[in-house]
Amino acid sequence: MRFNLGFFLREAAKNMRLNALMSVTAVTTTAVCVLVLGVGLLVSAHVEGILRGVGKDVAITAFFPEDVTREQIDQDRRQVEGYPEVEEVVFVSEAEALNRVKDMLSEQPEVMEGLDPDIMQASMEIRLADPEASDAVAERLRAEGFSEENLNYPQQTISQLNQVTGYVIWALRAATVLFLVASVLLISNAIRISIFARRKEIEVMKLVGASDGFVRTPFVLEGLAQGLIGATIAALVVVWGNAIFVEWASSALPFVPVSSSAVNTLLVLLVLIAVGVLIGIVGSFVSVRRFLRV
Amino acid sequence: MINFNNVTKVYGKDSVALDHVDLGIDPGEFVFLVGASGSGKSTMVRLILKELEPSAGSITVNGVRLSGIPRRSVPRHRRSIGCVFQDFKLLPNKTAAENVAYAMEVTGQKRRAIRVKVPQILDLVGLGEQAEKYPDQLSGGEQQRVSIARAFVGQPPILIADEPTGNLDPDTSVGIMQLLHRINRIGTTVLVATHDREMVDVMRKRVVALEDGRVVRDMVKGGYANEV
Ligand SMILES: Nc1ncnc2c1ncn2[C@@H]1O[C@H](COP(=O)(O)OP(=O)(O)O)[C@@H](O)[C@H]1O
Ligand SMILES: [Mg+2]
Repeated sequence: MRFNLGFFLREAAKNMRLNALMSVTAVTTTAVCVLVLGVGLLVSAHVEGILRGVGKDVAITAFFPEDVTREQIDQDRRQVEGYPEVEEVVFVSEAEALNRVKDMLSEQPEVMEGLDPDIMQASMEIRLADPEASDAVAERLRAEGFSEENLNYPQQTISQLNQVTGYVIWALRAATVLFLVASVLLISNAIRISIFARRKEIEVMKLVGASDGFVRTPFVLEGLAQGLIGATIAALVVVWGNAIFVEWASSALPFVPVSSSAVNTLLVLLVLIAVGVLIGIVGSFVSVRRFLRV
Repeated sequence: MINFNNVTKVYGKDSVALDHVDLGIDPGEFVFLVGASGSGKSTMVRLILKELEPSAGSITVNGVRLSGIPRRSVPRHRRSIGCVFQDFKLLPNKTAAENVAYAMEVTGQKRRAIRVKVPQILDLVGLGEQAEKYPDQLSGGEQQRVSIARAFVGQPPILIADEPTGNLDPDTSVGIMQLLHRINRIGTTVLVATHDREMVDVMRKRVVALEDGRVVRDMVKGGYANEV
């Protein structure tokens, strides 16, 4: 049989107009669900981003002995840069170390007066690609001849942080999945109520000789449209809210590494809309099927 | 055209609606199916439409055994039977013309064909002027004409009406019966289930009488009651 898309689209549009209240209910339900889902996604993305950012800041500091030569420093540095676990090595000279202290104590310059510049030690700050690897890197540095007191690496903190990060991220993912399931039920229920109100119509259509697919198609298109509208509204609100949050956080919470790069805006937009559309289609498909057995 | 072979239909465990019914209807016949309320008329109609399955026995329509029709082919089967009901069963959100057109859209016909055919059929049933009205703007008799137009627009070989005049006053009923009679004269096999005594008596058609699910009488030019 010919698939008459024009007819089905006209039917779906007309049904939505005639059952405006039901359509608004389905759209609103979808919008609310997608909104909560989107907020959940954002929260987990930002929490992940912040935790990663904190983890990234963790570095090993290796101090050079007083009597170290320029050549020795360069050689050590190249060596350490070659370690696979290492992302970046930053050399901090004695002068730089002194400047940093000065900066830190700029409010109380009197403390600086008695300070002997010679007590500063040159060091390299080793940023790790994987915070877990700090033990292994420290081990290598010891093998290079760095003594234990010249190494500064917060191993305890790192492994604890990683454990907490893992728990938080998994909890957030589990909550997202649970909510997704709840949304599917909620939205398909809204669709089912709207279809239940029209079960007599479906019965008549089938008596006139309409196939299941013929009856179902306008309903599925309707579900698709409702899902699309609801999800798009919600997704735009989510993305807009995210932009505002990131901007606010960077000025109000400068110490928390909230970053706009933690959230892939386009991806979030597409995922949320896809979820809404999918739930709309599946929900209406399943709901009509129950009334097609005439 | 329609054959019931020893058909029994039991609802639930022990509610016998049809009890070993044998009935043959030839192409082009006009047949009244009469009997008191609850005698099993609607059950026969629903069996023919394959809305129900018989508990025992077999039914053939148009030479096809219904038990052999798979679920997905039921819509095609239904399109070969025009159907008219006591409560009209029109789609409330569609105009008279749209209701008739729906039966054509279901079979995948071209929009151009639909635009030509629908007004013709509505004229035929005397509703040319009412084409754009919705069912709730039409009288009962007019709604029934729309439903007959819808049943007939695909020119099915068989037309079945279950109590078509059940909700209508006697004058309106005559018009509906005349319409069905005209459709029969074009060559359509027509089966009318009714307990409208007067109507059956004046039409002098074949009458099959049911009583408690059994065929108790089958007369060629019969009346509703025994003595005619
Ligand atoms: N869906 C059903 N479930 C159970 N019993 C039914 C059902 N439909 C009809 N019956 C019973 O079957 C018998 C025949 O009903 P029906 O075919 O509707 O008679 P008629 O159309 O002649 O009034 C009645 O006793 C009725 O109560
Ligand atoms: Mg009945």
